[in-house]
Amino acid sequence: MAFIEIKNLLKRYGKVVAVNHIDLDVKQGEMLTLLGPSGCGKTTTLRCIAGLEKPEAGDIVIDGRSLLSEGFVQPSDRGIGMVFQNYAVWPHMKVFKNVAYGLKLQKLTKHTIREKVLQVLEMVGLGGLEDRYPGQLSGGQQQRVALARALVRNPKVLLLDEPLSNLDAKLREKMRFEIKSLVRRMGMTAIYVTHDQAEAMVISDRIVVMDSGNIIQTGTAQEIYQTPANRFVADFIGTMNFLPGEVVKVEKEKNSAYVKTEFDEKLRCKTTDEIILNQGDKVFASIRPEDVEIFSTKPEKSENLVAGKIANKAYLGNFLFFFVTVNRSTIRVQIPHYSPLEEGDDIYLFLDPEKCMVLA
Amino acid sequence: MSRENISLAAILWSVIAFLVIYPLSVLIIESFRIAETSGWGISNYLAFFKDTYYLKTFWNTMVLSTLVLLTTTIFGIPLAYILARYRHRGKTIFTALILLPIVLPAFAGVFAFIIFFGKYGTLNLVLMDLGLIKNPINFIYGIHGLVFIQSLHLLPFIVLSLSAGFTNIDPSFEEAAEVEGASGFWRFITVTLPLCTPSYLAGAVIVFLWPFTDWLTPLILGKVDYLPSVAYINIAYHFTDINRKYMGIVAVVVSSIVCIALFMLARRWVERKKYTGLSKGTTSEGRVIEPSPIVRYGSYLYMLIVSFIVLLIPIVLGLSAFSRRWVFEPLPTYWTLDNFKVILIESPLLVKNSFLFSGIALIFGIFFGLIAAYVLVRTRIRGNEVLDFIITLMLAFPGMAVGVSYMLAFWKGIPLATHWIIMPLALFARRLPYFLRMAHSSYLQLDISLEEASEVSGVGKFRTFLYISLPLLLKGVLVGVVMFFIMAFQEISTAIFLYRGGWETLPIGIYLNWHRGMEFGIAAAMAFLMIVITFILLLIISRIGGGILKAAWGPGEK
Repeated sequence: MAFIEIKNLLKRYGKVVAVNHIDLDVKQGEMLTLLGPSGCGKTTTLRCIAGLEKPEAGDIVIDGRSLLSEGFVQPSDRGIGMVFQNYAVWPHMKVFKNVAYGLKLQKLTKHTIREKVLQVLEMVGLGGLEDRYPGQLSGGQQQRVALARALVRNPKVLLLDEPLSNLDAKLREKMRFEIKSLVRRMGMTAIYVTHDQAEAMVISDRIVVMDSGNIIQTGTAQEIYQTPANRFVADFIGTMNFLPGEVVKVEKEKNSAYVKTEFDEKLRCKTTDEIILNQGDKVFASIRPEDVEIFSTKPEKSENLVAGKIANKAYLGNFLFFFVTVNRSTIRVQIPHYSPLEEGDDIYLFLDPEKCMVLA
Repeated sequence: MSRENISLAAILWSVIAFLVIYPLSVLIIESFRIAETSGWGISNYLAFFKDTYYLKTFWNTMVLSTLVLLTTTIFGIPLAYILARYRHRGKTIFTALILLPIVLPAFAGVFAFIIFFGKYGTLNLVLMDLGLIKNPINFIYGIHGLVFIQSLHLLPFIVLSLSAGFTNIDPSFEEAAEVEGASGFWRFITVTLPLCTPSYLAGAVIVFLWPFTDWLTPLILGKVDYLPSVAYINIAYHFTDINRKYMGIVAVVVSSIVCIALFMLARRWVERKKYTGLSKGTTSEGRVIEPSPIVRYGSYLYMLIVSFIVLLIPIVLGLSAFSRRWVFEPLPTYWTLDNFKVILIESPLLVKNSFLFSGIALIFGIFFGLIAAYVLVRTRIRGNEVLDFIITLMLAFPGMAVGVSYMLAFWKGIPLATHWIIMPLALFARRLPYFLRMAHSSYLQLDISLEEASEVSGVGKFRTFLYISLPLLLKGVLVGVVMFFIMAFQEISTAIFLYRGGWETLPIGIYLNWHRGMEFGIAAAMAFLMIVITFILLLIISRIGGGILKAAWGPGEK
């Protein structure tokens, strides 16, 4: 049985359905991320787990204990730790008091409390700052106070609501790793909410992609990136070229399908067992920019080869982007090194059939 | 720093210097003058602080302030919480009723409650008729009555400030406490209330300062050993007894110093502690809670009781206004419109004066206020902070200080007080900060790029102000205008020192009526009339924009 079970969770605000009958299992010790655009229901789901929202239907079970079906369990009784997006570090209390707040309610001795607080502050890198007021700390430090406060009670479940979104880019990158290693060290089960897909990929064991209150796909970062379930997921994670077209032939045994696009009669693409395709279906032949190969002279390829012209070139230091016009379509190409090709050059693109997917 | 801006600032400074700094300096200097000599010294102060009677009045006033603050806080916290956190039916009406005492003239409460709670007032008579009591109970003639009446008048300030505090707390602060395991009450004590402190202090200062400036209520209740009442009696009645006059002046100065000191302290405290978190903005409603049925009904009941007590004031005054010889009866028996006839037809001078003086003060206020708002917000002239500070400080001054200082300053040296113009000038000086606050905060919300766009298009600064800024400010300005008028209209503690025969306003008329022991009915009718006029003006404000009112709310004093 999973450590956290979410069954048929429904949350409405008036007529708007924020969380639409979702089911989700979280394993013990796992770091699961709810990922999606604004309004997809990820924060609402998290708040339902915390008890800060009351769902209309469904159940949430943590370690065998139901939080909804046998009477609504108050947030203060759930034994959950939560890091808020704006930290919610109380400005009128010193750092020590902030972190000790929950412990004080557990009737531990003063000595034990002090020990635990100082220990956790050391762990998050705030050793020595326990007598400061939050107003005297930087944003990153305040965030660590929030983290320390959530961790100090050793909760069963740790919830994090976009905790890094208020930090600058460099700090965000650093904190991702710190949070991940901290949570792993303590062996906690954690649910993380973010709209930043890079963050999700770094920090999670599993990712749950959500949209409009529904779960679209669940899987590891690799699964989601390499085999996205549909166009939405493919577009949300990383960048993707979407080439609209129509299915002309399906070869189920070889897991391929032939798609007719605006510039090519028979683009061979990869399919999976789950996707059911029929001739005539309107689909997108999809390939990641880094999987498109670019040549200045025509290479020896029997299929999936198109000719085009470089419309734009963008140098990003570690990557080079080409925007290539093929007929009336634009295909994005990404290469990890320098290239002498320039805007206006005529080139050839090879869309590897093993990398080109059919998505709907 | 353009020349126009500097000349504008110069205008402001000269007005402040003439109408504020000069008179107050005269007041202070005068307090150091040794009576009947041309010498100076601190003997007045020594005499004041050595005299056990004056020390007692000082102490009494401190005690009264503390009691009033405690009472308003204890009764105000639940009200503020209900208004801020619960969604309930009739919220607007209840809010309006609970806030009503602010706009009722301060003495309205005293009169109404004497009629209702007095020795032979309605309540006692009813209880005796029903045989429940043999002798009348003393409901209000004592410190308990004084505390009750002043607390009721000041309750809205605490409720407003606390309610704003509750609403503005970022919900995540309380949610985090909940997640950490804190139940409702503990959360309230350790997180919610402390975070409201700056808002609370804003209201608490007003409340605490009030007994230092309310000379009328204790007087009417027959208890005069309070600092402002003593000061008034000494100055207004014993002007032949030089010693007492100077004791009165010292009393006024001491009151002022206490008021200003507390005001500054509260500001310092609020500035020192930082109360904001990394808020990403809350909904304008703040956190809303669903209370249990018992709590819900309890809160309705509580609001009803408070509203009833507040409504007693206009009802009782209304009954008294439309009747004659209402004594020794629970309810009036003889109804008449004679009282109003007397006021409006036979001696309409009071009404005319009230409107005239308040109106002229208003015009001064608008000019000064708009100029000041512009200078303070859009220019960086040196001394702006000082100007802002002085104007804000005026809020802390007891009304008596302004009245007495004008009396001293504009009598001999610059005989302005011999002309009725002194009345509107005093009203203007006293109530100026209210208008300025509204104008200032409205102006702050006006994006400067709107004005800059106009100037870039070739329109000069003055025309830009007329065509762009003013129309956009209009809402906030109008609200400020009406508030200013209401406050000036009700003003008594400054005017009472400056009026001469023929210059009486409605509030002064009411006081004189009471003082001469004339028909209560007429005094009540005047008070009722004032309430009606104020109410109409308030309706106008609420049409224009109640939200702005709340946003820029400043202290209201007599």
